[in-house]
Order: sequence, then structure tokens, then C-alpha cells
Amino acid sequence: MATLIEATGISKVYHKTTVPVHAVNNMDLTIEEGEFTAIVGPSGCGKTTLLNILGGLDYPSSGKVEIAGVDITDMKDRDLIDFRLSNIGFVFQAYNLIPVLTAVENVEFIMLLQKKGKKEREVRARELLIQMSMGDKLDSRPGELAGGQQQRVAVARALASKPRFILADEPTANLDSASTENLLNLMSQINTEQHTTFVFSTHDQRVMDKAKRLVTLQDGAIISDTRR
Amino acid sequence: MLTIIAWRNVWRNKGRSGVVIGAMVVGIWALSFGSGFMQSFLIGYIESAIRYETSNGQIHHPSFMEDQDIKFTIGDPLKVVAYLKEQSAVRGICARSLVNGMISSARQATGVRIVGVNPVEEADVTHLDSLIADGEYFSTVLSNPVLIGEKLAEKLKVKVKAKVVLTFQDANGNITAGRFRVAGILHAASLVINESSAYVRKDDLNRLLNINAAIHEIAYITNPGTDDQALADQLNKKFPNEKTSSWQELSPALVFMQQWMGAILKVLIVVIMTALAFGIVNTMLMAVLERIRELGVLMALGMNRGRVFLMIMMETIFLTTIGGPLGLIAGYATISYLGEKGIDLSSYSEGLEAIGYESVLYPSLGTTDYIQIVVGVLITAILASIYPAWKAIQYNPVEAIHTL
Repeated sequence: MATLIEATGISKVYHKTTVPVHAVNNMDLTIEEGEFTAIVGPSGCGKTTLLNILGGLDYPSSGKVEIAGVDITDMKDRDLIDFRLSNIGFVFQAYNLIPVLTAVENVEFIMLLQKKGKKEREVRARELLIQMSMGDKLDSRPGELAGGQQQRVAVARALASKPRFILADEPTANLDSASTENLLNLMSQINTEQHTTFVFSTHDQRVMDKAKRLVTLQDGAIISDTRR
Repeated sequence: MLTIIAWRNVWRNKGRSGVVIGAMVVGIWALSFGSGFMQSFLIGYIESAIRYETSNGQIHHPSFMEDQDIKFTIGDPLKVVAYLKEQSAVRGICARSLVNGMISSARQATGVRIVGVNPVEEADVTHLDSLIADGEYFSTVLSNPVLIGEKLAEKLKVKVKAKVVLTFQDANGNITAGRFRVAGILHAASLVINESSAYVRKDDLNRLLNINAAIHEIAYITNPGTDDQALADQLNKKFPNEKTSSWQELSPALVFMQQWMGAILKVLIVVIMTALAFGIVNTMLMAVLERIRELGVLMALGMNRGRVFLMIMMETIFLTTIGGPLGLIAGYATISYLGEKGIDLSSYSEGLEAIGYESVLYPSLGTTDYIQIVVGVLITAILASIYPAWKAIQYNPVEAIHTL
């Protein structure tokens, strides 16, 4: 497998009330293509900060991150937005769908930003939502959907841009057991069948059980990295 | 889809959008109505002054305006009148003889400007006949008829058919007097007509003045839209031995008033637009602050800051495109209705008429004014939306996403 993400010596220091906080401390991490990785650890260990840095949402204080050989740490904000749009899919804990758009429009929206044609957008959005078992909710707005359904739309949205990998920050934290099981099965299936790379941050034991690789953080550093 | 998102965002909080739209409607309505009302005030005053006092222009002997001596008559009035009749812009002409004198009744006497008119021509130009409140317009059955204003009649304590004596100096410098009978009493907002003029037949006056057919003043009215100053300049070139003055020259106070009202209107516009701008800024800022996380997600997903900025601007423009026309319709409807029915200020009529205003106002607003209001509101809305839109793109996606 080829290397997809390579983080070398990354650190992130926050200066909260002038006392420096090392959220990520001189970390090295490599993610291969097609991996199904869970980043775990207690609250405040740096999971979300690490995901933000790997996803190009935040800059490290030091170190560098390469995605498919492209160094994103020196990229300007505008270039980084374009890079994220083409290469990275996001799934958030709170789903964060656009409330005024229907399920299908939420999925189409990403492709619109990629300047894809109307027909292509519509077809792919419908296909993805059907794949996510949301075929009967295409025209529902987020407010009309249950949490698990919203998160499935969010996964479809993350997949819509055909990204190199998907970052999911605590995707099951707000879901009940059945929805979590359902969502994990879907993502696992996509990973197996389409070799889409997933990187999760999670506290959820059920996610950890499904993960093929478990990276454990503590105080901003990796304390274990296990492949199954 | 950006348009769809912006449009739907407008309706996410119907109450708040409704308040902004309502504020726009009221603001634009107030602006339209305020402009229409002030213009009617101003136009009414100017039109009244032009109609009853100055006309659109007057022609005199060059020295008459400085020293109103009866010897300063127009050299060849027939030639001037003939030329004026050829001008398509001129729709009414009247010739007058003028003298300052005294009017006295059995009980009072006062200074007055005696105007010798041709009743038919005068009615055509100044509609003096329409001002008759009591009596008749130069009744043919009375010899030496005179028309005076209500205030003057009150002062002299005379009524219709009462005798008055007009005393003045004739062409030979002799004091002469003529007995006249009040044929009609005029009711006018104009102070000049109401208090200090006496209208007699030109032939009667000229006979007493001993000036035959000579005249002192030719007044003319023009068609709407005529450049009165340009016409006056043209007449001055054509008749260099006479002095033609436009209404602007005859009454600089009217010009000043026009400018002053214009300035007040501008202040009114600035006040309303500023209030509107603050309303928009407040609402759009609220809309942005409520959606910090959503904006962060949009930027995280790949929506660049330019599009986020545009989206917020579009939301404001949508609000304006709803509120603007509604406000204009409300303003137009009000002005059309009141322009027809008039605003009756008769309870203030004494005060208004004392300063020369009509007691019924008819608001009006031209197409250009409506267009200016629309453009003004649009520009205000666009300017007002810049700050909230700028604020929206200042957020860091990571921080915004984790905002509660």
C-alpha cells in the first residue's frame, strides 16, 4: 500500500492565557491508502487537533504534513481550501449538514463547489444516498431526519467529492447503538469494497472494534499503534 | 445553489426577516411619502407664486424694477406680445399697467399696489377669476370695478359693492384719485394678493394715469418643463431695450426655498437610509453570529471565503428586493391616493395661509424620484451588508465548527 498521509514531527502549541498547552507534541504518523484507522485516547489527548492538522483545517506549530506527496503545511489558506475540496472528506460529530438544503442537495453541494455539472451531481448524489439506505429521504431536510440518518447523509456528502480519504471526528458520539452499528457497517463496507481510507477520532469502543488500525494518544503523543 | 442557500437562509427566521422587510417597507414608504409631501409643499408654494404673482416670466422697462415710476413703460408692447405669441413654449400672455398708491374706504386707508389688467388675459394667465370668494370677476354692470383680497377687505372694513377711492400720482406728477366699487373679494394663499393688491381694469387705470395704452408689465406663462431662464435670456437678446426676468430672478426667495427644501429632503433621506442600514447590519450580524458553526463547516468543506461573502450579500439583497418593491408600492399607493384626494390641513390653514401656503396639499412624486429611492435603498442595503459579510469570513473554520 502506498503512503497517503505522512506527518513528520508535528506539534501544536496553544497559548491559552499565556500558559503554553502542547495539544500535539512532536508526533510522527503515517497513514497508508485504504486503511481504516481509529485514533483513540482520553479527552484532551489531542485527537481532534491531530485530525484538524491532518485535514488541513489547522496549521501545525512545527513539523510537516504531506498528503499524497503534497506538503500542505506551507499552503496558503485559499490553496488549502481547494486542496481540502478535492482530497479530503469530513464527517463531524454534530453532522453539520446545511439545514436549508435537502439530503440530496447537501450531497450535491460539495460537487457544486467542485464545479461538476448538474446531471453528474444529481446522479452521484442519488447513488450515494441510496447506497447509504437513504433513498426514501432524498428530499428531506436535516431537521426532518434522525441523528443516524443525518450522519449517513454526512458520510454520503464526504464521499461525494471522491476524496483521497475521509476524516471523521467522533462520528458516532451522538448516535444510538443501532445507528452506530449501521453507520460503522456502511463505512466498513465502503472501505472494503472501494478501498476508501478512513481516519476516525473516537471514544467509542464499537468504532475501535471495527477499526483495522488503532492509534492511541496520550498528552499529544502516540503511545501505541496497533494494526489488526 | 448558492442562490438557493441564500434565499432559504432568508426564510430560516421568518420573524426576523419579516421585521427587516417591514422596516424596509416603512422606511421606503416614509421616504416616498415624505418626499412627495415636501415636494407638494414646495411645488404648491412655487406654483402658487408663479401662477398668482410672478408668472413664469415678466417683461418691463429696464428701470422699472428699480424705480417703479409710471413713466417706465414698455417701448413697443405690441411687438413683444406678437413675438411671445409665436413662441410654442408660451401658453398665456397678459399686459398690465401698475402704480403704487393708496386705497381708502370710509373707515380706513392703506398703501396698495394697483394693477391694471385686461380681465380676459389676466384670467388666462393668473386664473384670477378662480380666486373670487365673494362678488363677481370684473362685473360689467359696475363702472370702475376693483378686486381686492380678503385681508385687505377686512382691513378696510368693506364688502362687495362698497365704494373705495384709489389715489396715486398720474403721468404728469399730479395726485389723482378715482372712485371704484368693490366688484369681488379674492381668497388667495398669496400674501401679495390677499393684503396689498387692488386689481382694476387697465383701461380705467390708464385713463386716470393719463398714459393711454401704455403698459408697464407683460407677464407670460409657459408650458410645463420649459426652461424659463433660457426663455428669458432669449427674450433679452431679442428685446435689448426691455428687461425680461424669469421667475427665479423675480423671486430669489423661491429659489432659496427650493434649495432649502432640497437640503431638508436630503437630510431626511440620510436619516431614513441610516436607520435602514443599521437595521440591516443588526439583522445580518445576528444571522451571521447564529450560524458561525455552519459557516465554519462551509469553509471546511471547501467553500472559499469569496463565496461565503457573496452568500451573505445575496441574503441582504434578497431582503431588499422583497422589502423595496413593497415599500415602493405602499408609497406609490399613498401618494396616488392623497395626490387625488389631497391632504386637508385646514385646521392649520390660518397659519399656513399667513405664510402663503395652500391649506390642501396634493403630494406627488415623479418617476425619477422613485428610481432614486430604489437605487438609494439598494446601495444602502449593499453597503450595510458588507460588514456582516466581512465578519462572516473572518472566522477560522476550526474554531467556528467547535462553536456551540
